[in-house]
Amino acid sequence: MTAQEVRLCGLLLHEHFGEVVEKVGTHLLRSGAQNLRTIIHETGLSVDLVKKSLMVLVQHGACLFSSGRKGPGSPTEYRSGCDRILRILRYPRYIYTAKTLYGDTGELVVEELLQRGHMTMSGTVKTVADRLTQNMEEGRSMDYSEVSSAFSKLVETHFLQRCPKLAGAGTADSTTSAIPPTPESFPDCYKVPHMTLVGRGKRQLAAEDGEDQRNAKRQKMDSEVDEGIYWQVNFERFHLHFRDQAIISAVANKLDQTSSEIVRTMLRMSEVTTSPAATCTKPLSANEIFRSLPASYNIPRPILDQYLTLLVDDPMEFVGKAGESGGGMYVVNLHRALANLARATLESVVQERFGSRSARIFRLLLRKRHLEQKQVEDFAMIPAKEAKDMLYTLLSQNLVQLQEIPKTPDYAPSRTFYLYTVNQLPTARMLLQNCYKTVANLIERRLFESKESKRLLEKSQRIEAILASLQASGAEPEQLTEVEEMITAPEKQQLDALKLHINKLDSAENQVDETIFLLESYVNSTATSTV
Amino acid sequence: MAEVKVKKEANLSDPAEVENRIKELCHQFPQGITDQVIQNDLPHLEPQQRAMAINKLLSLGQLDLLRNSSGLLYRLKDSQSTSKMKGSDNQEKLVYQIIEDAGNKGIWSRDIRFKSNLPLTEINKILKNLESKKLIKAVKSVAASKKKVYMLYNLQPDRSVTGGAWYSDQDFESEFVEVLNQQCFKFLQSKAEAARDSKQSPMVQRNSSFATSHEVWKYICELGISKVDLSMDDIETILNTLIYDGKVEMTVIAAKEGTVGSVDGQMKLYRGVNAVIQPTGLVKTPCGLCPVFEDCHEGGEISPSSCIYMTEWLDF
Repeated sequence: MTAQEVRLCGLLLHEHFGEVVEKVGTHLLRSGAQNLRTIIHETGLSVDLVKKSLMVLVQHGACLFSSGRKGPGSPTEYRSGCDRILRILRYPRYIYTAKTLYGDTGELVVEELLQRGHMTMSGTVKTVADRLTQNMEEGRSMDYSEVSSAFSKLVETHFLQRCPKLAGAGTADSTTSAIPPTPESFPDCYKVPHMTLVGRGKRQLAAEDGEDQRNAKRQKMDSEVDEGIYWQVNFERFHLHFRDQAIISAVANKLDQTSSEIVRTMLRMSEVTTSPAATCTKPLSANEIFRSLPASYNIPRPILDQYLTLLVDDPMEFVGKAGESGGGMYVVNLHRALANLARATLESVVQERFGSRSARIFRLLLRKRHLEQKQVEDFAMIPAKEAKDMLYTLLSQNLVQLQEIPKTPDYAPSRTFYLYTVNQLPTARMLLQNCYKTVANLIERRLFESKESKRLLEKSQRIEAILASLQASGAEPEQLTEVEEMITAPEKQQLDALKLHINKLDSAENQVDETIFLLESYVNSTATSTV
Repeated sequence: MAEVKVKKEANLSDPAEVENRIKELCHQFPQGITDQVIQNDLPHLEPQQRAMAINKLLSLGQLDLLRNSSGLLYRLKDSQSTSKMKGSDNQEKLVYQIIEDAGNKGIWSRDIRFKSNLPLTEINKILKNLESKKLIKAVKSVAASKKKVYMLYNLQPDRSVTGGAWYSDQDFESEFVEVLNQQCFKFLQSKAEAARDSKQSPMVQRNSSFATSHEVWKYICELGISKVDLSMDDIETILNTLIYDGKVEMTVIAAKEGTVGSVDGQMKLYRGVNAVIQPTGLVKTPCGLCPVFEDCHEGGEISPSSCIYMTEWLDF
């Protein structure tokens, strides 16, 4: 929970939930677990507001509650973690993935769940159907069954999961562990409730009566089958998917398209059998891979064997051979692939920031671990003066470390070896913090830009509203053009420029988020593995 | 027969004759003779007389005393060098000996002092003397530019002192290295592309995209961009820099002894490769490349709201 992470979480909470929730959220992040009274006291907000903010945070899974430190019976304590809040940054990527995999229906389901946090299946299906119906042409509406099938498919592939039931504060349960149960610990985590939703999406009518009618109908249907079964988005599954995508694109870059297809097949086959923290996938025999290849790629069997051998021989070690049975057993080395991708990220940062010669020195140190200054100059074939300069720059930026090896017990400088070295893991952590700071900077700049042009934005919004109302009430074209001309040309230019800036900043946030994802996965993989 | 014997006996008693005999033996065996050989030739010579003769020849500077695994060797000194040393006293001869022993790596003046136990002033005088007589020369070392090593006049300085092919007059030729770098890379890249376009089975494709270090060396020699002769080791250092650039990868395969380019039964193969990932997201933003990243806070002089790099980047 570094300062950069807290700052970024604060900005994200502010954007998505507002100032009050941000205050409560950042307070919880900074101070750890606290009970209600302390939060109220320290943030200075009213009881109502704090309660509502906590509700919002719990609804989205950003805050967990458990019985207090002094044992059951003491007031509940609320705890918040940075990880969940930082996921908000990745929402666009989740939605886009759902769209590519399951179409518009899947996209809207995931979007709804992300917005609401926890929702029942029936609620989701209805809302999504309504939304889809709105965008369709007149006279057509979305069937609930289609949406339910998309929902079930998402659950089958584990992209959605049931929310775990948390024990209430009142129940003196001695078996409640300090750590809240993970969703996976429940056996029917991925079981879709057996119910059939019959109906079609309703188009939103402009008239008020339609709404009242719907409200009345909704109350009648309230006693649903899946009361109390709430669903949430399974972020870990999405992360596994992203990780697989990263590995496949790396293979495509390094080797060729066919090899990446083979790796894609292997990863697809081990999607549900591999645990998230596994070092490598379960071994797959070459026969199985051959049978599961997509039909469009009809490569003969010996060629497939050759590709697999090439993948195994590649220095990047994406694929390893685990045995000889079944025509050769192959695994995808997940942790090693992540380490290589993180390493490539580090190298690319050094290259872009300091130039290709410094990148040469950096890669040299990564390979050879410890080197003296003279050796660095010799291996990298860079003149002594320039090599010295570059090494010192890298050292001042903390990308390279100095290791002293004394020849004598007193660390006399003339009698000590000074070796340069690069430690991949601490450097990756440092870059991760830099990424968080960068995203926070981008968000702040975006807010600043919108604030600067607030007046202009408000004016354009007013004019749009006037235009819309005029169009709805059927005005003549001259009136419309008159209203449009209320915005002068330079103002229009400014508006366009502003839109461009905001889009650029937004897409930059997403790009940095990709780097964050790679580095985070790498750091997490080293935390769990013993290798 | 008796006459010969008498002659021999007559020779034995004259020390000058003994010395001449020893010199003739040295001529016969130019690599050097051991004490044993002299004894075999002049069996009746007493060890004392033999020792006296040898000592005389040594002090006259006509014989060289060497040591090898089996004992002491006496070798006739080169007549030219003997003339050179005329007029030099023992100290100079000692210093000269030390410098000669250092071979083509040269020796530093402080080391000469240690080996000869002579005071520094003496050493400097002797070195100046020898230099003026054109017997030794001073070569600037490339490692420490102020250090001078001394070696015999007609010797070529060793690579470690001058830096080898990459240094010309103590200056590192970085453009030369760059040019070689690019040429090697182009060669390997075109080979890899040719292999990829050949549309054969992947194994054959990959194998044909490899080039041995020997092939690269031949290509560079034929290109003729280098004034200096480059050895295969030089080319391998250049290829290693390409590996550190991430553009090339290397494997080692076992090769039959005697195949062209194999060293100790192994061959190094090089292949051009593509980058694993595109430039990462962080560097696509101004913050990733910002030189004042550490000083940037909201509300400070350098802040995201007022960042000039961001302004430039947004208007790009």
